[in-house]
Order: sequence, then structure tokens, then C-alpha cells
Amino acid sequence: MDSEVKDYLDVTDDLLPADEREDLAVNKVADVALRKRSAAPNQIAFVRYLALPFIFLTVALLGGLRLSGLDSSFVFLKPPLLCLIFAAILLVMFFRARLIDLEGWFSESFSLLKNLANGAVLLTLFAATTQLFNSLLPEKGLPFWIVAFCFFWTLWNNLFADFDTKKLLRSLGALFGLAFVVKYLVLANLAAPEGRTWFERLTENPGQEAMTWLLDLPRFSAGTGYIQFFAAALFLIGLYLLPASTNDYEA
Amino acid sequence: MLYGNAQIIAMKEKYIHILSLAMTFVYGAFVVFLYAAEPRSIEEISSKAKSTVENAVTKGQVVTGTYEIDRQKYNEGLQAFRIDNFIAARDSFDRADPEKRDVKTQFYIAYSYYRQGWGRVSNDDALFKQGLTSLERVTMLDPNFRSDDTNLQLRTPAELRNELEEGMKVTADDFNPLRLVRERK
Repeated sequence: MDSEVKDYLDVTDDLLPADEREDLAVNKVADVALRKRSAAPNQIAFVRYLALPFIFLTVALLGGLRLSGLDSSFVFLKPPLLCLIFAAILLVMFFRARLIDLEGWFSESFSLLKNLANGAVLLTLFAATTQLFNSLLPEKGLPFWIVAFCFFWTLWNNLFADFDTKKLLRSLGALFGLAFVVKYLVLANLAAPEGRTWFERLTENPGQEAMTWLLDLPRFSAGTGYIQFFAAALFLIGLYLLPASTNDYEA
Repeated sequence: MLYGNAQIIAMKEKYIHILSLAMTFVYGAFVVFLYAAEPRSIEEISSKAKSTVENAVTKGQVVTGTYEIDRQKYNEGLQAFRIDNFIAARDSFDRADPEKRDVKTQFYIAYSYYRQGWGRVSNDDALFKQGLTSLERVTMLDPNFRSDDTNLQLRTPAELRNELEEGMKVTADDFNPLRLVRERK
């Protein structure tokens, strides 16, 4: 017994051979690295696959929602065909400016499920973009065609310009901001309020009544502007959260 | 250890994708439903949803070949038809056969237009036209249809069509005073 203890005490070298020790170290490092990385990818995945579709679908829901000027009841306006065309052009711009890297969203190296989930996220982005144009374009009459032409002019020019992601986002922010001001501040204030007789409207505010008639302005409740502001802000937040590629982390 | 951890993480990723697809589908369907049904208030959403589900179920029954008319509504319609309450009869028949696929019900609807539009002196052309439209549906569903209701004098679509078409024409016969004693069929 004493001799065994003495043997252990006499050991001055390592207990494990050098090659075995290295294996353990490599395993440990990989294990720690995996544990460190495992939390972040899950969070990223939650944002990409749950938060983003939720945000974009909420924009799609709110984008066509108006409140009636008479009793504040819901009015759901389906997007005109032009909105789908604008949304398609904008998505092409996203691809060109590398805001969305197509190879990073769809790849043969991804599982089918991941490709499907990525496709669903991009589909919700398209729906949200369509509805954002539906929200920002005036509903009918001369203002619709003027604003639609301005949108088309800007998008068409931008389509062939060299953009980086930041410039594109800034440009879009400015474009959408201006359109919002035109529709929900300028045109909304030109529209005569609902719920009065034709004679009352004409005698109380002939200017507003004339503009409403000339520009064929719809009479919506003031709450519509607040809803659409929220929708536009939500869309920009969604764009900010949207990654260029989904293969920047490994699960 | 390493492989164990990697497997668990991969599963989670997979579940997130499945959850994402499910959420996108459900929420997307809800958005599409709202724009299709166009409810005017939050309270109206539930009633619109109910009617949409009922409609979808009926369409599903048609596709799977299990569609059946609502017997109770049909009997109510028949009762109203027999006491000459044609508007109520048509309403019940429409509810009994929302997909307009039951030949018998559609024949009664066409017949109700004839009986309601019939007049001793002159007929209501608008109702007769609607009767002809309904009759086209009957012919489309079953070209050889023959009603088994002995209370009806016009038992086939051809007979009823002839009566409706003749009723809309203006002929010298219309001025025959004996027309006043004719009976509704």
C-alpha cells in the first residue's frame, strides 16, 4: 500500500499521453463552441422564421384596411394590379442591391424544409410590399394616377441605378415617407368630412367640398392614417430585420 | 456529447421551420379571409367566418360527392309552395340547396316563378324570365327529369318551358275573352 502511494507521488509526468490529451482538448473546445453558438442561431431563426413573417403578414393585413368616415367601420380594400407590379419591381431592386441574396435564401445544400420556410418568408415580404403600395397609393381618381406615375418613375429609374443596401433603404424610406405625407396629410385634409348633408358641406366648407369632388377623394376616418403609419413603420422594421442571406450561421 | 448536442439543435431548427410554415399559412389564410369576406366590425368577423366555413364544407361535400340538401328546409319550402307563398318557398328552397345541385328543388323554384307570375289577364314577364333561367339549371342537371309530384300539371321541364315562353309572347289569342276562365297549372 505504501509502495503504491509512493509510486503515485513519484509521478512527475502527465497522467495522460500527449495525443489523448489533445483529443480531449479538441472535443472540449468544439463542445464549448457549439454551446456558445447554439443559443444565437435559435434566436436568429426565431426572428427570421417567426417574427419576420408575422411582421410582414401584419403589414399585409393592415395595408388595405381603412376606417369609414361615417361610422368608423372596417373597409378592406383589395390591392389594384398596379400594386403587384410595383411590388415585383421593388423585389427585383432588393435582389439587385443585394438586400436579398437569392443564393443565400434558396440553395441545394439547404434542406427542403428550410427552402420552403425561406420561400414562405419571401412570399410574405411580397404580400407586405404589395399592401404597402395599396396603403400609400390614393384609392381613385386623379391623385391615384399622379402618385402611381411618380412611384413608377422612381422605381423604374432606381431599377437601373447602382445601389448599395443602405442607400436603397434610405431611398425607400424617403419615397414611402413622402407618399405617406401626400396621402394622409395633404389629401386627407382636403377631403370634406362624411356625415353631413351636401348642402351643409357646401356652405360650411366649400373649398374642401370642391376639392373632394374634383379629386374624387374618399372620406375615411382619421384613424386610417394612424393604422397606415403603423403599417409603414412595421414594414421598414421588417426590412431592417431581413437578412441578406440565411446561410450565415450553422445549426 | 458533440453529436448529441448537434442533433438536438438540428431538430429545433427543423421545428422552427415547421412552425414558421404553419404560422404563415394560418395567418395568411386569415388575411385572405378578411379581404374576401370584408367584415365591417370585429363582431362581424365571427359570423362571416361561420358562413365561410359552412360554405367551404358544402363545397367539400360537392367535391367528394356527399352533398345532400337540407331536408327540413326543403319540406318548409314545399309547404310554403303549396299554400302559394312563393317568396318564402324560394327562400327555403335556396337554403335547402345552396349549391343549386338538386334537380327536384330547382324544378320547384322554376315552378314557383311560373305560379307567382301567372295572371288571369296578363303574366309577369320578369318572373317568367327568372323561371326560364332556373329551368335551364334543371335541364343542365338532368335533361330527362320528370317530377313525381301529382299536384303539378306541368311535370317536365319542357312543358314548363313551353308555358313560360308562351306566357311571355303577345298573340291574338291573348285578347280572347275566354282566357279569363282558364286555370293556373
